Amino acid sequence: MTQEEHLQALRDAITAMDLDGIAAVAQAAMDAGVDAQKAITEGMVPGMVEVGEKFEEGEYFLSELVVAGEVMKDGMKVIEPYLTAGKGEAEAKARAIMATVEGDYHDIGKNIVVTLLGVQGFDVIDMGMDVPASRIVEEVRAQRPLVVGLSALLSTTMARMGDVIEALKQAGLRDSVKVIVGGTPVTPAFADSIGADHCAVNAIEGVHVCREWLKQAKEGK
Amino acid sequence: MAEMTRRERILTASRRQMADRVPFFHNWRHCQQGTVERDCRNRGMGLSWERPSYTFTWHGVEVTETYETYTTAVQTLRRTFKTPVGTISLVEKRGAGTGQWHHMRSWQDVTPWQTERAIKGPEDYKVLKYMYDNLEVEPDYFPLEQAKDWIGDDGMVWDWLPHAGLQLLMIDWVGSEGGRFFVHHARYPDLVDETFQSISRAYEPLWEIAAGSPADFFLLADNIDAVLVNPKLFKRYFMPEWEKCCTALHAGGKLVGVHMDGRLKALTGLIAETSIDVVEALHVPQMGDLSLGEALAAWPDKVIWTGFPGSVYALGPEATKQQALAMLRDMGTGERVCFEMSTENLVSNENLAMLTSVLEHATLPLTPEKIDAIERSLR
Repeated sequence: MTQEEHLQALRDAITAMDLDGIAAVAQAAMDAGVDAQKAITEGMVPGMVEVGEKFEEGEYFLSELVVAGEVMKDGMKVIEPYLTAGKGEAEAKARAIMATVEGDYHDIGKNIVVTLLGVQGFDVIDMGMDVPASRIVEEVRAQRPLVVGLSALLSTTMARMGDVIEALKQAGLRDSVKVIVGGTPVTPAFADSIGADHCAVNAIEGVHVCREWLKQAKEGK
Repeated sequence: MAEMTRRERILTASRRQMADRVPFFHNWRHCQQGTVERDCRNRGMGLSWERPSYTFTWHGVEVTETYETYTTAVQTLRRTFKTPVGTISLVEKRGAGTGQWHHMRSWQDVTPWQTERAIKGPEDYKVLKYMYDNLEVEPDYFPLEQAKDWIGDDGMVWDWLPHAGLQLLMIDWVGSEGGRFFVHHARYPDLVDETFQSISRAYEPLWEIAAGSPADFFLLADNIDAVLVNPKLFKRYFMPEWEKCCTALHAGGKLVGVHMDGRLKALTGLIAETSIDVVEALHVPQMGDLSLGEALAAWPDKVIWTGFPGSVYALGPEATKQQALAMLRDMGTGERVCFEMSTENLVSNENLAMLTSVLEHATLPLTPEKIDAIERSLR
């Protein structure tokens, strides 16, 4: 097989959600001398981008997105030991912190955003569910992200998003980050009322906005 | 038309017949008690109450519960299921007020969350399978008889049927956090399917028990959202189970609804193929993705019990009024629709009073002129 054929096989394994086959495909690519960084960026990542696009178009559902992500994780386990130090750090990534706010144990929408932001080139720190405002502030202080994404499914917990924004203000960090909020009950009017930068209508629209912010940051706007 | 009782109104609409006005009712587990609630009920708001017609007994399963944290503000409880083939355990976090209010809701109306799931890996499925292979379902009609007697004509008592097999796995045992259920379904399809089949077999007596229940209406708790339940899963795991339920219950003239408060657009055609009578807790955009008009057109043989969006309640009475009027305008003549004041949230007195003010004069058939008159009366 040529190098291009190995890269294509990696892409295909992701888009076909081939949990059983990915390890062998990845190992074959490494044994054939395919550059590990290339195997990721030109093999598996384009596969994930394709799955993400099908999700955006409504052809794939959450299950496909999750399983494709799982296939990629299995492929990474094989490829990571072949990565040469420094090569993977060619371009510093913009960082995004994602969290489901305190008192809320729903993470489906947040996880879709985490997956899609990762595919779009963000270094995503997923803080999980039921995350208090104080922990988010600590993480923002330590990681200096471009974006903080807050998620809530319950109208009873979405008020905690406002607490996070207030805590960021108190810590003098609000102006250093873009805050995007989302979740079933969250409306633009509510997002405005708590001082968020954007209310994501859905995960896909939210990721587009984050990409736009990334573009603006790169252009120094 | 003579004025119907609240119970007659809900049942008439649910049977696709013309009620005297749009039925509206509040679910017991979200409903306040007091001055405003009484006033709204006097102005036509009904009550709904859910109770089961069955009990479950796991034979050969030792269930123990231990508090890992206990304060009146929060409790963390480990529940362990010990069987001859192995042991599984889960951890549940309960907020303040759990057990002191309706159902297992906290003061903030939040149900206990599992912070550790019972099914952690493939080795745990055999335990769960054993549990459902040894589950006995028995009738117990007292809770329904009692509630029906108490509620009288003020509303409806329905028989609450549990999550069907796949939702039991996805919501109650495996969980969907981090896509966990989908990963298990992809990595261990045989284990998932075998366990699903055990649950399905264990529930066979449930449908016959329900058919003998004193309830007129039965609600499958399935909590459908197409983001989680995609069309392939829906067709394979839900439709056959619902058909078994509907076959048993329709034979006795009973009505069957399914709790579906998520995004349903991707399932529109498949839902139309099912035999269920009522799509319960439909949420219009932005919480859901189908408007009332779209839902009524997509499912001409089904009745919509629409939930009222909590995101609108959060914006106050004026937004509540505008949303309710918009929903009335999207209902055509208003047949085949009931309003549930809330299916997910507590409602403030101000919002409840406003929604009642909009709905109390919504006589059927609805016309644009009637809705305009309601709007003028509230200026």
